[in-house]
Amino acid sequence: MAAARRAAASWFRLAVRHRSSQSQAPPHGLVAKTSLSSPPWPEVKLPDPVEEAKYHAEVVQKVNKMIATGQYGRLFAVVHFASKQWKVTSEDLIMMDNVLEAECGDRIRMEKVLLVGADDFTLIGRPLLGKDLVHVEATVIEKTESWPKINMRFQKRRNYQRKRIIVNPQTVLRINTIDIFPSLS
Amino acid sequence: MVLLGAPRWLRSRLTDRFWRVQEVLKYARHFRGRKNRCYKLAVRSVRRAFVKSTKARKEKKRFLRALWITRIEAASLEHGLKYPAFISNLLKSQVELNRKMIADLAIYEPKTFKSLAALAQRRRQEGFLAALGDGKEPEGIFSRIVHHY
Repeated sequence: MAAARRAAASWFRLAVRHRSSQSQAPPHGLVAKTSLSSPPWPEVKLPDPVEEAKYHAEVVQKVNKMIATGQYGRLFAVVHFASKQWKVTSEDLIMMDNVLEAECGDRIRMEKVLLVGADDFTLIGRPLLGKDLVHVEATVIEKTESWPKINMRFQKRRNYQRKRIIVNPQTVLRINTIDIFPSLS
Repeated sequence: MVLLGAPRWLRSRLTDRFWRVQEVLKYARHFRGRKNRCYKLAVRSVRRAFVKSTKARKEKKRFLRALWITRIEAASLEHGLKYPAFISNLLKSQVELNRKMIADLAIYEPKTFKSLAALAQRRRQEGFLAALGDGKEPEGIFSRIVHHY
Protein backbone atom coordinates (compact mmCIF):
# COMPACT_ATOMS: atom_id res chain seq x y z
CA MET A 1 0.00 0.00 0.00
CA ALA A 2 2.90 2.36 0.83
CA ALA A 3 4.55 1.46 -2.49
CA ALA A 4 1.34 2.30 -4.31
CA ARG A 5 1.02 5.59 -2.44
CA ARG A 6 4.61 6.53 -3.33
CA ALA A 7 4.03 5.59 -6.95
CA ALA A 8 0.87 7.67 -6.98
CA ALA A 9 2.62 10.60 -5.36
CA SER A 10 5.48 10.52 -7.87
CA TRP A 11 3.01 10.22 -10.78
CA PHE A 12 1.09 13.23 -9.57
CA ARG A 13 4.26 15.20 -8.81
CA LEU A 14 5.48 14.81 -12.39
CA ALA A 15 2.36 16.60 -13.52
CA VAL A 16 3.06 19.58 -11.18
CA ARG A 17 6.22 21.64 -11.64
CA HIS A 18 8.20 22.67 -8.53
CA ARG A 19 9.71 26.13 -8.53
CA SER A 20 10.68 26.79 -4.92
CA SER A 21 13.44 29.18 -3.75
CA GLN A 22 14.78 26.52 -1.35
CA SER A 23 17.08 24.10 -3.16
CA GLN A 24 16.55 21.41 -0.51
CA ALA A 25 14.47 18.47 -1.72
CA PRO A 26 11.92 17.26 0.88
CA PRO A 27 12.83 13.94 2.55
CA HIS A 28 11.76 10.99 0.45
CA GLY A 29 8.44 9.48 1.49
CA LEU A 30 6.95 12.71 2.90
CA VAL A 31 4.79 14.49 0.32
CA ALA A 32 3.25 17.90 0.91
CA LYS A 33 -0.49 17.52 0.90
CA THR A 34 -1.73 19.45 -2.14
CA SER A 35 -4.80 18.98 -4.27
CA LEU A 36 -2.84 16.77 -6.63
CA SER A 37 -0.65 14.79 -4.25
CA SER A 38 -3.21 12.01 -3.81
CA PRO A 39 -5.92 10.69 -6.12
CA PRO A 40 -9.37 12.31 -5.88
CA TRP A 41 -11.01 9.06 -4.79
CA PRO A 42 -10.80 7.81 -1.19
CA GLU A 43 -8.08 5.29 -0.52
CA VAL A 44 -9.13 1.75 -1.29
CA LYS A 45 -8.12 -1.32 0.67
CA LEU A 46 -9.03 -4.74 -0.68
CA PRO A 47 -9.21 -7.76 1.63
CA ASP A 48 -6.43 -10.36 1.62
CA PRO A 49 -6.67 -12.44 -1.61
CA VAL A 50 -5.95 -15.80 0.06
CA GLU A 51 -8.59 -15.28 2.72
CA GLU A 52 -10.99 -14.00 0.11
CA ALA A 53 -10.50 -17.07 -2.06
CA LYS A 54 -11.26 -19.26 0.95
CA TYR A 55 -14.40 -17.23 1.69
CA HIS A 56 -15.52 -17.46 -1.96
CA ALA A 57 -15.05 -21.26 -2.00
CA GLU A 58 -17.04 -21.55 1.21
CA VAL A 59 -19.91 -19.47 -0.19
CA VAL A 60 -19.97 -21.49 -3.43
CA GLN A 61 -20.07 -24.75 -1.48
CA LYS A 62 -22.89 -23.47 0.71
CA VAL A 63 -24.98 -22.37 -2.29
CA ASN A 64 -24.31 -25.69 -4.05
CA LYS A 65 -25.53 -27.55 -1.00
CA MET A 66 -28.63 -25.37 -0.81
CA ILE A 67 -29.43 -26.07 -4.46
CA ALA A 68 -28.74 -29.80 -4.06
CA THR A 69 -31.00 -30.14 -1.05
CA GLY A 70 -33.68 -27.97 -2.68
CA GLN A 71 -33.82 -25.25 0.00
CA TYR A 72 -35.17 -22.58 -2.28
CA GLY A 73 -38.70 -21.32 -2.78
CA ARG A 74 -39.86 -19.78 -6.02
CA LEU A 75 -37.15 -19.11 -8.59
CA PHE A 76 -37.08 -16.16 -10.94
CA ALA A 77 -34.89 -15.85 -14.02
CA VAL A 78 -33.90 -13.07 -16.40
CA VAL A 79 -34.09 -14.53 -19.90
CA HIS A 80 -33.01 -12.95 -23.19
CA PHE A 81 -35.69 -13.90 -25.73
CA ALA A 82 -36.98 -12.30 -28.94
CA SER A 83 -34.32 -9.57 -28.58
CA LYS A 84 -35.79 -8.49 -25.24
CA GLN A 85 -35.01 -9.33 -21.64
CA TRP A 86 -37.82 -10.72 -19.51
CA LYS A 87 -38.01 -11.29 -15.77
CA VAL A 88 -39.73 -14.62 -15.60
CA THR A 89 -41.11 -17.01 -12.96
CA SER A 90 -42.91 -20.31 -13.40
CA GLU A 91 -46.56 -20.18 -14.60
CA ASP A 92 -46.41 -16.70 -16.02
CA LEU A 93 -47.34 -15.52 -19.52
CA ILE A 94 -45.12 -13.82 -22.06
CA MET A 95 -46.27 -12.16 -25.27
CA MET A 96 -43.85 -11.51 -28.10
CA ASP A 97 -44.63 -9.23 -31.01
CA ASN A 98 -43.45 -11.59 -33.74
CA VAL A 99 -43.80 -15.09 -35.13
CA LEU A 100 -42.25 -18.18 -33.55
CA GLU A 101 -41.72 -21.19 -35.82
CA ALA A 102 -43.34 -23.62 -33.42
CA GLU A 103 -46.86 -24.98 -33.31
CA CYS A 104 -49.26 -24.33 -30.45
CA GLY A 105 -48.52 -26.74 -27.62
CA ASP A 106 -44.80 -27.19 -28.40
CA ARG A 107 -42.41 -27.14 -25.47
CA ILE A 108 -39.49 -24.75 -25.87
CA ARG A 109 -36.30 -24.42 -23.89
CA MET A 110 -34.97 -20.88 -23.41
CA GLU A 111 -31.21 -21.02 -23.43
CA LYS A 112 -29.98 -17.47 -22.91
CA VAL A 113 -30.39 -17.01 -19.16
CA LEU A 114 -28.70 -13.94 -17.67
CA LEU A 115 -29.63 -14.24 -14.01
CA VAL A 116 -31.35 -16.74 -11.72
CA GLY A 117 -32.45 -15.88 -8.23
CA ALA A 118 -34.23 -17.26 -5.23
CA ASP A 119 -34.89 -15.79 -1.81
CA ASP A 120 -31.44 -16.44 -0.32
CA PHE A 121 -29.07 -16.52 -3.30
CA THR A 122 -28.69 -15.12 -6.83
CA LEU A 123 -26.63 -16.53 -9.66
CA ILE A 124 -25.40 -13.74 -11.96
CA GLY A 125 -24.15 -14.73 -15.39
CA ARG A 126 -21.24 -12.99 -17.10
CA PRO A 127 -23.04 -12.46 -19.39
CA LEU A 128 -24.86 -15.82 -19.67
CA LEU A 129 -25.26 -18.72 -17.27
CA GLY A 130 -24.25 -22.21 -18.34
CA LYS A 131 -26.79 -24.53 -19.92
CA ASP A 132 -25.92 -27.24 -17.41
CA LEU A 133 -26.81 -24.88 -14.56
CA VAL A 134 -30.28 -23.57 -15.49
CA HIS A 135 -33.16 -25.05 -17.46
CA VAL A 136 -36.14 -22.85 -18.44
CA GLU A 137 -39.07 -24.51 -20.20
CA ALA A 138 -41.99 -22.78 -21.92
CA THR A 139 -45.03 -23.81 -23.98
CA VAL A 140 -46.52 -21.97 -26.94
CA ILE A 141 -50.14 -21.21 -26.04
CA GLU A 142 -51.59 -19.09 -28.79
CA LYS A 143 -50.60 -17.30 -31.97
CA THR A 144 -52.76 -14.27 -32.73
CA GLU A 145 -52.60 -10.87 -34.32
CA SER A 146 -52.34 -7.60 -32.46
CA TRP A 147 -55.12 -5.00 -32.39
CA PRO A 148 -55.08 -2.84 -35.57
CA LYS A 149 -52.67 0.01 -34.90
CA ILE A 150 -53.19 3.14 -36.98
CA ASN A 151 -50.22 4.93 -38.52
CA MET A 152 -51.16 8.34 -39.85
CA ARG A 153 -49.06 11.05 -41.45
CA PHE A 154 -50.45 14.51 -42.08
CA GLN A 155 -48.99 17.79 -43.25
CA LYS A 156 -51.12 20.89 -42.91
CA ARG A 157 -52.09 23.09 -45.86
CA ARG A 158 -50.50 20.67 -48.32
CA ASN A 159 -53.34 18.22 -48.89
CA TYR A 160 -51.13 15.32 -47.71
CA GLN A 161 -52.41 12.58 -45.49
CA ARG A 162 -51.62 8.87 -45.43
CA LYS A 163 -53.32 6.32 -43.22
CA ARG A 164 -51.98 2.81 -42.72
CA ILE A 165 -53.29 0.03 -40.46
CA ILE A 166 -50.62 -2.22 -38.98
CA VAL A 167 -51.47 -5.64 -37.59
CA ASN A 168 -48.55 -7.53 -35.99
CA PRO A 169 -48.53 -11.28 -35.43
CA GLN A 170 -48.14 -12.13 -31.74
CA THR A 171 -47.23 -15.29 -29.85
CA VAL A 172 -48.14 -16.07 -26.25
CA LEU A 173 -45.92 -18.38 -24.23
CA ARG A 174 -46.38 -19.78 -20.75
CA ILE A 175 -43.25 -20.47 -18.70
CA ASN A 176 -43.70 -23.92 -17.21
CA THR A 177 -40.64 -24.51 -15.04
CA ILE A 178 -37.30 -23.05 -14.03
CA ASP A 179 -34.82 -25.67 -12.76
CA ILE A 180 -31.33 -25.22 -11.37
CA PHE A 181 -28.71 -27.94 -10.89
CA PRO A 182 -25.87 -27.92 -8.34
CA SER A 183 -22.99 -27.63 -10.80
CA LEU A 184 -21.19 -24.57 -9.40
CA SER A 185 -17.41 -24.55 -9.03
CA MET B 1 -80.87 -8.12 -73.41
CA VAL B 2 -77.51 -7.04 -71.81
CA LEU B 3 -76.78 -3.34 -71.49
CA LEU B 4 -73.05 -2.50 -71.85
CA GLY B 5 -73.31 1.04 -70.54
CA ALA B 6 -75.71 2.67 -68.07
CA PRO B 7 -78.30 5.03 -69.61
CA ARG B 8 -78.11 8.75 -68.74
CA TRP B 9 -81.28 8.83 -66.64
CA LEU B 10 -79.88 6.28 -64.11
CA ARG B 11 -78.34 8.23 -61.14
CA SER B 12 -76.34 6.69 -58.32
CA ARG B 13 -76.90 7.91 -54.79
CA LEU B 14 -74.61 7.47 -51.78
CA THR B 15 -76.46 4.99 -49.61
CA ASP B 16 -73.90 4.24 -46.84
CA ARG B 17 -73.08 7.78 -45.77
CA PHE B 18 -74.18 6.91 -42.22
CA TRP B 19 -71.61 4.14 -41.84
CA ARG B 20 -68.81 6.16 -43.37
CA VAL B 21 -69.48 8.91 -40.85
CA GLN B 22 -69.73 6.45 -37.95
CA GLU B 23 -66.32 5.03 -38.90
CA VAL B 24 -64.77 8.36 -37.98
CA LEU B 25 -67.06 9.25 -35.08
CA LYS B 26 -66.38 5.95 -33.29
CA TYR B 27 -62.82 7.14 -32.63
CA ALA B 28 -64.08 10.47 -31.28
CA ARG B 29 -66.71 9.29 -28.81
CA HIS B 30 -64.55 9.98 -25.76
CA PHE B 31 -63.57 13.51 -26.80
CA ARG B 32 -64.75 16.65 -25.07
CA GLY B 33 -67.25 19.08 -26.52
CA ARG B 34 -68.92 19.10 -29.92
CA LYS B 35 -66.09 17.21 -31.56
CA ASN B 36 -67.51 13.97 -30.21
CA ARG B 37 -70.81 14.50 -32.10
CA CYS B 38 -70.32 16.73 -35.14
CA TYR B 39 -68.58 15.11 -38.10
CA LYS B 40 -66.85 18.21 -39.43
CA LEU B 41 -65.14 18.94 -36.11
CA ALA B 42 -64.56 15.27 -35.34
CA VAL B 43 -62.66 14.62 -38.57
CA ARG B 44 -60.04 17.20 -37.67
CA SER B 45 -59.67 15.99 -34.07
CA VAL B 46 -59.47 12.34 -35.03
CA ARG B 47 -56.81 13.05 -37.64
CA ARG B 48 -54.71 14.93 -35.05
CA ALA B 49 -55.21 12.13 -32.56
CA PHE B 50 -53.92 9.51 -35.01
CA VAL B 51 -50.88 11.60 -35.92
CA LYS B 52 -50.07 12.23 -32.26
CA SER B 53 -50.35 8.56 -31.39
CA THR B 54 -48.02 7.67 -34.29
CA LYS B 55 -45.37 10.09 -33.06
CA ALA B 56 -45.86 9.12 -29.42
CA ARG B 57 -45.05 5.49 -30.19
CA LYS B 58 -41.46 6.58 -30.95
CA GLU B 59 -41.22 8.92 -27.99
CA LYS B 60 -42.53 6.30 -25.58
CA LYS B 61 -39.28 4.37 -25.96
CA ARG B 62 -37.22 7.44 -25.04
CA PHE B 63 -39.47 8.29 -22.13
CA LEU B 64 -39.41 4.79 -20.66
CA ARG B 65 -35.63 4.63 -20.87
CA ALA B 66 -35.33 7.92 -18.98
CA LEU B 67 -37.74 6.56 -16.37
CA TRP B 68 -35.69 3.40 -15.91
CA ILE B 69 -32.50 5.45 -15.56
CA THR B 70 -34.10 7.63 -12.89
CA ARG B 71 -35.24 4.58 -10.96
CA ILE B 72 -31.84 2.89 -11.18
CA GLU B 73 -30.18 6.09 -10.03
CA ALA B 74 -32.47 6.35 -7.00
CA ALA B 75 -31.94 2.71 -6.07
CA SER B 76 -28.17 2.82 -6.47
CA LEU B 77 -27.93 6.01 -4.39
CA GLU B 78 -29.65 4.09 -1.60
CA HIS B 79 -26.69 1.72 -1.73
CA GLY B 80 -24.11 4.50 -1.89
CA LEU B 81 -23.28 4.44 -5.61
CA LYS B 82 -23.98 6.98 -8.30
CA TYR B 83 -25.64 5.91 -11.56
CA PRO B 84 -22.63 6.32 -13.93
CA ALA B 85 -20.37 4.39 -11.53
CA PHE B 86 -22.97 1.64 -11.11
CA ILE B 87 -23.70 1.12 -14.81
CA SER B 88 -20.12 1.42 -16.05
CA ASN B 89 -18.77 -1.00 -13.45
CA LEU B 90 -21.58 -3.47 -14.11
CA LEU B 91 -20.73 -3.45 -17.80
CA LYS B 92 -17.04 -3.84 -17.08
CA SER B 93 -17.85 -6.95 -15.03
CA GLN B 94 -19.54 -8.39 -18.13
CA VAL B 95 -23.07 -8.31 -16.69
CA GLU B 96 -25.30 -7.43 -19.63
CA LEU B 97 -28.63 -6.68 -18.01
CA ASN B 98 -30.47 -3.83 -19.68
CA ARG B 99 -31.90 -0.85 -17.85
CA LYS B 100 -35.44 -2.16 -17.91
CA MET B 101 -34.39 -5.34 -16.09
CA ILE B 102 -32.22 -3.54 -13.55
CA ALA B 103 -35.08 -1.16 -12.78
CA ASP B 104 -37.48 -4.11 -12.37
CA LEU B 105 -35.01 -5.91 -10.12
CA ALA B 106 -34.57 -2.78 -8.03
CA ILE B 107 -38.33 -2.67 -7.46
CA TYR B 108 -39.21 -6.34 -7.02
CA GLU B 109 -35.93 -8.03 -5.96
CA PRO B 110 -34.14 -5.69 -3.58
CA LYS B 111 -31.67 -8.32 -2.35
CA THR B 112 -30.55 -9.07 -5.91
CA PHE B 113 -30.12 -5.35 -6.58
CA LYS B 114 -28.02 -5.02 -3.44
CA SER B 115 -25.73 -7.79 -4.65
CA LEU B 116 -25.41 -6.08 -8.05
CA ALA B 117 -24.50 -2.81 -6.32
CA ALA B 118 -21.89 -4.60 -4.22
CA LEU B 119 -20.43 -6.18 -7.37
CA ALA B 120 -20.20 -2.79 -9.05
CA GLN B 121 -18.59 -1.23 -5.98
CA ARG B 122 -15.98 -3.97 -5.76
CA ARG B 123 -15.16 -3.68 -9.48
CA ARG B 124 -14.84 0.09 -9.03
CA GLN B 125 -12.30 -0.35 -6.23
CA GLU B 126 -10.31 -2.82 -8.29
CA GLY B 127 -10.34 -0.29 -11.09
CA PHE B 128 -8.89 2.40 -8.80
CA LEU B 129 -6.13 0.07 -7.68
CA ALA B 130 -5.35 -0.88 -11.26
CA ALA B 131 -5.14 2.82 -12.17
CA LEU B 132 -2.65 3.56 -9.38
CA GLY B 133 -0.58 0.40 -9.21
CA ASP B 134 0.33 0.07 -12.93
CA GLY B 135 0.55 -3.69 -12.65
CA LYS B 136 2.49 -3.82 -9.37
CA GLU B 137 -0.63 -4.87 -7.42
CA PRO B 138 -2.16 -8.29 -8.07
CA GLU B 139 -5.00 -8.16 -10.59
CA GLY B 140 -8.44 -7.94 -9.14
CA ILE B 141 -10.65 -11.01 -8.84
CA PHE B 142 -13.84 -9.38 -10.09
CA SER B 143 -12.04 -7.66 -12.98
CA ARG B 144 -11.15 -10.92 -14.68
CA ILE B 145 -12.75 -11.23 -18.11
CA VAL B 146 -14.61 -14.48 -18.77
CA HIS B 147 -14.12 -15.95 -22.25
CA HIS B 148 -16.80 -18.18 -23.70
CA TYR B 149 -15.01 -19.88 -26.59
